[in-house]
Amino acid sequence: MLRKYRFEILAVVAVLVFCALFLFASSRMGKAEFSGSDTAGSREISEMTGIPEEEYRPLVGQWVPPGPGIESALFALQAAIGGGIVGWVFWYWRGLKAREGS
Amino acid sequence: MEGFLPWQWALLWWLAALPCLALGVYRLERVLSADREALPLLGVTGGFVFILSSLKLPSVTGSSSHPTGTGLSAIAFGPWVTAVIAAIVLLFQALFLAHGGLSTLGANVISMGVAGPLVGYGIYRGLRDTRVSTFVTVFLACIFADLFTYIVTSLQLALAYPAEVGGVTSSLVVFLGIFAITQVPLAILESVILVLVFKYILQLRPGILVRLGVFSEAKIVAAGGDL
Repeated sequence: MLRKYRFEILAVVAVLVFCALFLFASSRMGKAEFSGSDTAGSREISEMTGIPEEEYRPLVGQWVPPGPGIESALFALQAAIGGGIVGWVFWYWRGLKAREGS
Repeated sequence: MEGFLPWQWALLWWLAALPCLALGVYRLERVLSADREALPLLGVTGGFVFILSSLKLPSVTGSSSHPTGTGLSAIAFGPWVTAVIAAIVLLFQALFLAHGGLSTLGANVISMGVAGPLVGYGIYRGLRDTRVSTFVTVFLACIFADLFTYIVTSLQLALAYPAEVGGVTSSLVVFLGIFAITQVPLAILESVILVLVFKYILQLRPGILVRLGVFSEAKIVAAGGDL
């Protein structure tokens, strides 16, 4: 039983350890905002060059999500597209396997 | 962080990315026409690139980042096909999320679609015909595909922004501290999940893995018997 589901158990343990690490890190770093590492990278470049971050503009103009909520929604859409495809394929494979088995 | 890559570098990475994508499209056509079952497998491995790269996860460094999810696709279809999948995801993020832009798309395709998967694929090829377990092979390939993506991102930025003192090396250390260290726990978590996905593929359709030559039949049978 334990051996059969060892990868499932490992995945759950990994998620729990990941959450514990997050709680530990956020309790030790009172001010950490967990903003993107790309934000940290942008700040670093602007410090190195002395050019304020706002002056860096993309070469090709682009649409920016008008708020963090909309950005999250679009990220969720991306995950949903992936999840939909994955779910469909596993359903299809299970059907094939059931037919071959009977 | 769009607009930070100077245009000369953006152009250079685009020029590097285009042949990789062309090769990827060619390989993709060939593998899809050779085997009808390759398409569903592509759906699963590509689907996980979509899912995992959409997640913004916090890390021990106090900032957060995205997993890449490219390892499994690199193992199943090779790095060039993976570059095409990564390009589609990156295009989605550039158009709708302002997460990477069209000018930096070339640089991002190289780091996420080519460099990371190439290293993951190299590790997988190195271990494929040894006695190392298939699951361990998948795990290691996925970790390094993720980590190396961010190592290359750091290198791309360091090349464009060499420090006044210490040059490229010194700014590489700074960028690695920002991007690569943040990525370590994410890479481990992502790889554990992709090993689980690999287990399910193995249970449902071991035949396609053998036909695509992902692992030898003996190894697939051994791994299946071990579940």
